[in-house]
Amino acid sequence: MPLFLITALLGAILSGISLAIFAPYVTLRRISYLGEALSHIAFAGIAIAIISGMNLTLGALIFVSAVAMGISWLSEHHKIQEANTITIFLSLSMALGIILISLSRNYSFDLSSYLFGNVLLISLSELWILGGLNVLNIAFVIFFYKELFYLSYNPEMAKVFRIRTQGVDKMFYILLAANIVFNLKSAGIILVTAQLILPAVIAFNLVQKLHIAIITAVITAIICAIAGFAASFALNLPTGATIVVCQALLYALSFLFKRRFD
Amino acid sequence: MIQIQDLQFRISGKSILEDINLEIPDGVFAAIIGPNGAGKSTLIKLIMGLLDIQEGKITIDNIPQHEWLKHSGFGYLPQREEFDRAFPATALDIVLMGIAGSIPRGRRCTAEHRQKALSAMQDCGIFEKANNRIGSLSGGEFQRVMLARAILSDSKYLILDEPEAGIDRVGVSSFFELLKMLNDKGKTIITISHDLHTLSDYCSFLICLNRRLHCHNHAELVNSDVIHRTFGEAIRLIEKDY
Repeated sequence: MPLFLITALLGAILSGISLAIFAPYVTLRRISYLGEALSHIAFAGIAIAIISGMNLTLGALIFVSAVAMGISWLSEHHKIQEANTITIFLSLSMALGIILISLSRNYSFDLSSYLFGNVLLISLSELWILGGLNVLNIAFVIFFYKELFYLSYNPEMAKVFRIRTQGVDKMFYILLAANIVFNLKSAGIILVTAQLILPAVIAFNLVQKLHIAIITAVITAIICAIAGFAASFALNLPTGATIVVCQALLYALSFLFKRRFD
Repeated sequence: MIQIQDLQFRISGKSILEDINLEIPDGVFAAIIGPNGAGKSTLIKLIMGLLDIQEGKITIDNIPQHEWLKHSGFGYLPQREEFDRAFPATALDIVLMGIAGSIPRGRRCTAEHRQKALSAMQDCGIFEKANNRIGSLSGGEFQRVMLARAILSDSKYLILDEPEAGIDRVGVSSFFELLKMLNDKGKTIITISHDLHTLSDYCSFLICLNRRLHCHNHAELVNSDVIHRTFGEAIRLIEKDY
């Protein structure tokens, strides 16, 4: 197999793993809309990076992390409904992104690869970054398992019982933002959220404990990355979209399994 | 001892609590009574630091509340707890929440913690449901899980918001018996309740609240006039035997 295909396959697997680790928490905390919003907000970050001549991923990372923290702060201190706040940020960021990209007149920027993702564009250095990010993700969910568990259950009660979740919550948002940004190239702005939700809903259809659900979500993501990659290669289909279709099919099967055994 | 001085609280300009001055001594079984919308839940949320104090002062054990909260906490049983019924937690996991704050970050609950949690569940009569998923528990069972969690927190203060909600008549009596036992062991109990009949058997300190404080004295000193002033003219006190 040529090196670029091996790199792409490894990229698809590492990308799937990094999103799947966070998927159960995103599902349990019912913040899938936040994942959707952050991926769209990254669009404005990319546009700002193009205008300022910055590295696109770094620009998006700084912008998305800042917005994620802003959303967290606003929701915590100003009694603003999180869904409304996020919708405002999402719309504003998309509008900013469209305006800035039109102003930049940078015709070499391949917008469609960021919108829909192209795993073949992943470089060797990005593969290392994804690997490092996964090490960080795994360390984070293992070390803060207890805090993340109770934070996902009920943040107010976690506060009452003095479970130190505040710093963990901020780290969660920053890491979520980082995972979304570093996966934009492979998964795409539009489809990254699917990979952030589907592995978790599949896992929760099959198992009942959080730590087993995280492992199941990761295994699901790996299987779908390999199957989707192979199918897209064989049928000449876009890889990111094919991986999402594989996950959706697995979701349908897991749903039938749940109905059968519930 | 919990001391509240000149406490005011408003939401969107509307006054919820006015001129609250109150002292809850250690070791009492205190009940907060008042009609719906009287500010009872707001008062306990302010005491616990779940709402920010706008005006006034709260001190606990002679320490400003925000300082006290840095190293201590409350055992709390909320009126309702928002949670996803499909959440992958067992009753034991939720009880362990009561002790999780004292376990350093990065550490898991040990066998000793589990043993303590199971013992609290035994006291609350919910031991046999320890490994059941929370979504499968009835309202009354979950209430006992929350009480076991509150007890496990090992705070000297136990605050309850309408604990009798969702429990049948017989259950209420045994629930208050359990609270009385904890009170006898030295815990200060502060409970919001509408069940005046049951309260009269157990509580030693009555706080009548209807936006303002109408009295805060030992239960036997509170007469029907005070109850009328707290609830308004709509209430009729009926002596009942169960």
